[in-house]
Amino acid sequence: MVISSKCINKTDEQIVVLTLKNQDYYLCLMKRYEDKLLNYILKISNTSREDAEDILQEVFIKAYQNLNDFDLNFTFSNWIYSIARNTTISAFRKKKVRPQTVSWEDKDLNNLLQSTLDIENTSHQKLIYKHILKIINQLPLKYKDVLILKFVEGKDYQEIGDILHKPMGTVGTLINRAKKSLKQELKKEDITL
Amino acid sequence: MKNLSNEVFKKIKDNNIKPKPRWYFITKNYFIWSIFGISIILGSFAFSMVLFIIKQLDWDIYHYMGDSFIKTLFISLPYLWLIFLFLFTGVAYYNFIHTKRGYRFKLISILLISLIISISLGTGLYFNGFSERLEKIFSAKIPYYNQLVYSCEEQWMQPERGLLAGTIIEIGFPENNFILRDLENNRWEIEASKVIWKGKLSPTTNLKIKLIGKLINDNNFKATEIRPWQKGQGRFMMGGNR
Repeated sequence: MVISSKCINKTDEQIVVLTLKNQDYYLCLMKRYEDKLLNYILKISNTSREDAEDILQEVFIKAYQNLNDFDLNFTFSNWIYSIARNTTISAFRKKKVRPQTVSWEDKDLNNLLQSTLDIENTSHQKLIYKHILKIINQLPLKYKDVLILKFVEGKDYQEIGDILHKPMGTVGTLINRAKKSLKQELKKEDITL
Repeated sequence: MKNLSNEVFKKIKDNNIKPKPRWYFITKNYFIWSIFGISIILGSFAFSMVLFIIKQLDWDIYHYMGDSFIKTLFISLPYLWLIFLFLFTGVAYYNFIHTKRGYRFKLISILLISLIISISLGTGLYFNGFSERLEKIFSAKIPYYNQLVYSCEEQWMQPERGLLAGTIIEIGFPENNFILRDLENNRWEIEASKVIWKGKLSPTTNLKIKLIGKLINDNNFKATEIRPWQKGQGRFMMGGNR
């Protein structure tokens, strides 16, 4: 595609400026974030892929409508993650989504477990992965959310703060509590790693 | 997986979806900052009233009434204005966190900064005489306002507890005694033979005063200490001290 080739070597923020002049550039932004956001929505919502795609459509349309509100002093990535999070929670509240067990990619779960529990994803552990996933999915959203953003999406405290609209100190506290909560839940289930 | 981006892009084009205009967000942002600013200003009005009410009350008389200082404090605090001060600080906080970068600040920092600004502005307004004018307006125009705020009048109109206030209307009947019309328009004969006059006062008619003493009967009061109604020169004119 002609526009797609014009987007190469351009930052998200530069593409936002171009989109406001020519809407065709918006396709580049959507393509850049389609997979990332879909995975993020799936993980925080435990919803079906179909529902997650509906939410993502809503996210992209909302983001486009509010593009003039995007502040170029912030990163587009944090901004659209924030919209994705709010839209997902909103869909969840409206019960538009049907909770399901979401299968995570091994590398994502491994990242999370290594960072929160200091364990490696060995074949032995794979046996209880399904169970751990269930526990992660049962954590309160505020904990699950920060764990995913920090250890799966690889965001730093400031970025997470910008996505959750919370001060950095609060993000740090939430991450610590989330780790503690995860460990406690695993202990309750008698899972030793 | 379906090509979601292309689908959404087609939807945007087909439905002629456009970004909301820039002015919409600028206006929204200005609106949030304006409400924040207005809340801070209203908070400062509330604080100036808190200061005014606290300053107009006499805090050294609780022992005349046999009360503890804590009890006097509990009775006398201007709760109405304190509620307004905290309410406006809350509104200021709510609006601040909805500004673009507001969420980056801690709750306690925003509340403290809002309170400090309101307190500083409120103190300025108090010394400027603004709270005194506002008190007069509220007393005159707002129904039940005087019942909601513990005022100087309320504090001093307790003859059964040895506190009385009013204006001297006649003097020297007999010597050193005088006739007083209290704040509720009742006539009192005041026995003032062994009285301490505070604030370099001398008994003259039309002088508004506060009396500490003892109730003798329905219209007789024995004064032991008399103070000017007005605390500090040129301040607290409420009630018409002349």
